[in-house]
Amino acid sequence: MTTPIPRVMVPGSVTRNEVFTVKAIIQHQMETGLRTDSAGKTIPRKIINQFVCRYGELEVFRADLHEAVSANPFLEFQLLATENGRLEFSWREDGGATYSLFHDIVVT
Amino acid sequence: MSLTRRHMLASTMATVACAVALLAPKHTRGADEAEDFLFRLTGRKATPSNRLRLMMPAEFSTGYTVPMSISVDSPMTEADHVKSVRIFAPKNPLVEVAQFHFVPGRSLPRVSTRVRLAAPQHVVALAEMSDGNLLMATAWVAVATNGCL
Repeated sequence: MTTPIPRVMVPGSVTRNEVFTVKAIIQHQMETGLRTDSAGKTIPRKIINQFVCRYGELEVFRADLHEAVSANPFLEFQLLATENGRLEFSWREDGGATYSLFHDIVVT
Repeated sequence: MSLTRRHMLASTMATVACAVALLAPKHTRGADEAEDFLFRLTGRKATPSNRLRLMMPAEFSTGYTVPMSISVDSPMTEADHVKSVRIFAPKNPLVEVAQFHFVPGRSLPRVSTRVRLAAPQHVVALAEMSDGNLLMATAWVAVATNGCL
């Protein structure tokens, strides 16, 4: 299995109180645990079960994901530009691994 | 059994009743089923509302990646906001799809993603508001292939 690669699309600068769109995607199989291999054995579940976006230190958006979310889970959501700060995106995988990205946003 | 006038009337009535039920618009039948489904799942009554919108294609060629968008009309203030929106696919082997959490004054209750559907079905969205009310909406999606294999 390949290492999940996360990517985000965020505007570099936004005006205060403006709504901006974030697109976040991670390359991931999202193995449901419902499939069997050629020997008839169940392939264990391994999905990204949570995505969190923090702005500064505050959690501003969270998604709990289940098996029915497609492979390479994609999320598009909207945030309010409040202040200059760091956006942190993290994806949590079954088994406890997390994958994170950071993005500094300039609010004018 | 003799075929009396009474029997004939009774069977005609039953046929008409079935026909009427089948003729009811698909979306209203979906809403009724979804209300029952959500009540069984959460033990609470959700109100169908057009403040909550669930947008999905009515027909889609593959069940693996069906586009889905949700949005809720809400001022997103401390006093009146959307806490979360949950998505269910009642005909999937595992009915839970996702739950999105929002923060008043920081995020808007609008999300797009892609989901797997096992069969043609009414997808259900359930929004929990800050006053404790539950709003629901459904979208009929006919997928041509099973996306849960």
